[in-house]
Amino acid sequence: MNKFLVFLEQREGIVKPSSISVWNRVQGLAALDGNSVVSGILAGPVEIGQLDGALGGDGVIYHAKEDGLRVYNQERYSRVIADLFEREACTALFFADTAMTRDMAPRLSVRMQASLLNGNALGEGDAAGVSRRVYSASFLASFVPTRKLRIYILSSSVRVVEFPDGGRINFIDIEPLQSTLKDLFPVVRRIIMGEGPPDVAEARIVVAGGRGMGGVESFALLEQTASLLGGAVGASRTAVDAGWRPHAEQIGQTGKTVAPVLYFACGISGAVQHLAGIGSAGVVVAINSDRDAPIFNVADYGLVGDVHIVLPKLIDLLKEFLKKQ
Amino acid sequence: MNIAVCVCLVPDTASVVGYLDGAVDYSRVNVVMNHYDEYALEEAVRLKERVEGSVVTVFSFAPDSAREVLRKALAMGADRAFRVSCSGGGDLSPTEPFLTALGLSRAIAAFYADRLPDLVFCGKQSTDFQSAQVPSMLGELLGMASVSGITSLQITGDLLRVEREIEGGIEAIEVTFPAVLSAEKGLNEPRNTSIRAVMEARKKTVGLLEVSLHEEPFVVMSGIEPLERKKICCFVPDEHELLRVLSYECNLL
Repeated sequence: MNKFLVFLEQREGIVKPSSISVWNRVQGLAALDGNSVVSGILAGPVEIGQLDGALGGDGVIYHAKEDGLRVYNQERYSRVIADLFEREACTALFFADTAMTRDMAPRLSVRMQASLLNGNALGEGDAAGVSRRVYSASFLASFVPTRKLRIYILSSSVRVVEFPDGGRINFIDIEPLQSTLKDLFPVVRRIIMGEGPPDVAEARIVVAGGRGMGGVESFALLEQTASLLGGAVGASRTAVDAGWRPHAEQIGQTGKTVAPVLYFACGISGAVQHLAGIGSAGVVVAINSDRDAPIFNVADYGLVGDVHIVLPKLIDLLKEFLKKQ
Repeated sequence: MNIAVCVCLVPDTASVVGYLDGAVDYSRVNVVMNHYDEYALEEAVRLKERVEGSVVTVFSFAPDSAREVLRKALAMGADRAFRVSCSGGGDLSPTEPFLTALGLSRAIAAFYADRLPDLVFCGKQSTDFQSAQVPSMLGELLGMASVSGITSLQITGDLLRVEREIEGGIEAIEVTFPAVLSAEKGLNEPRNTSIRAVMEARKKTVGLLEVSLHEEPFVVMSGIEPLERKKICCFVPDEHELLRVLSYECNLL
């Protein structure tokens, strides 16, 4: 029997949608093989009512509510997870792909002597490997675990089928950590949150701009478009290196890999390094004045034109369209 | 201050990684230092320049043929560079982070003998396989705290103050020495190597450190195939049509 443990990440008391998504994916996996039990671990005090209707399947979620876990602490979080994993004799640990999990998971892999697999497609069966794009997203590589215990970091994929039905979830509080040290380094002292739009790696719709935008002011058009669509602004490396947008918005080889359902590439030529970041995107729309730009080879829809003319028109049309909704 | 920097070699992202007879073909690939490792190395050298008596030592699993890449590290300001190789024989596959981290931890432990280095810098991830696992694993193996993906670094007395990007914001973190830090883009601007620095670096030897590595990997790559990325692009004549297609055909809006 498989015993799966899913880590539910919270920041400022809000459980991340990416974690909820992983819970549902793992429930889907368990439903397929009929031989698995799914539990969850929630670190930090959280108002659990927010999860009503969001979690599918059945299972127990262990809630480590102590205040010392309110903010991410690498050592404390690792101990809570590893202790519970061992106590419950779990066989696989699942994480969503976030800055926090990428910080913790490799250490846990060594500590627990568990195979660490990161990818966005999860194989079935006992060998349960993953696959993901490598070499600037030009190859698909599959990886399998060699150890009995496994840790998975699952990145979001637009093609994943979610497990929708609300289930019977029991929340059980777990004992606080025995810890005599007041601060276990590294310690998060402050979190400075940006205002407004969702992070580009978490947004459902991304409107990205590149060299063709011509300058920092033109990105206002992308901000407007993104705002109307409830999405986030992204940028190519050129735009970031030129100082037009911050690195946090960069998409590509040395930026983020994103998997939105809809991706706009505006004034982006489509260099291989940029495409590396959008391999898992859903529908790709390219707007570029150069009909031969490589971006059109990976776009579902293309509009050949000057972004400075196309975008304002698109914005007006969107405003009208949304009014009618 | 003793500073270790771990670098790895990867195909230049502008190179074409080919596929021939069912296997990956590296014949047209240019091997370079992993881009993120340049930020790590640059930060190490800047620290060395600020803190007197500091020594920067580079460790890398690199074949003999790639010694020139390690010379570049020397030209950027590292004091010494070592190629790490396994006495167990065989090639270390870059798809196996655990063995890479284990080997590096042994090389570092052997080199520094009784005292761990004060800092170990790595790039956040390698641009070929992008597992982003080695730095944190190295921290666990060496018994040091680690912070992944830092975008800024300050030292105040005994404390390291770093920042890293999280979804929608920035975390400001404090950590004590010794620590493993992995560098994110934006940490600094790596310097260009002057001709003189390159010439000086030519005079230095790239050493060799052998480590025994008989353990089994944690993960094995079971297959790799090229991806056909091309889509058939449907060109729309104007913005009206674009909106129509996205809302009515794709149901995205």
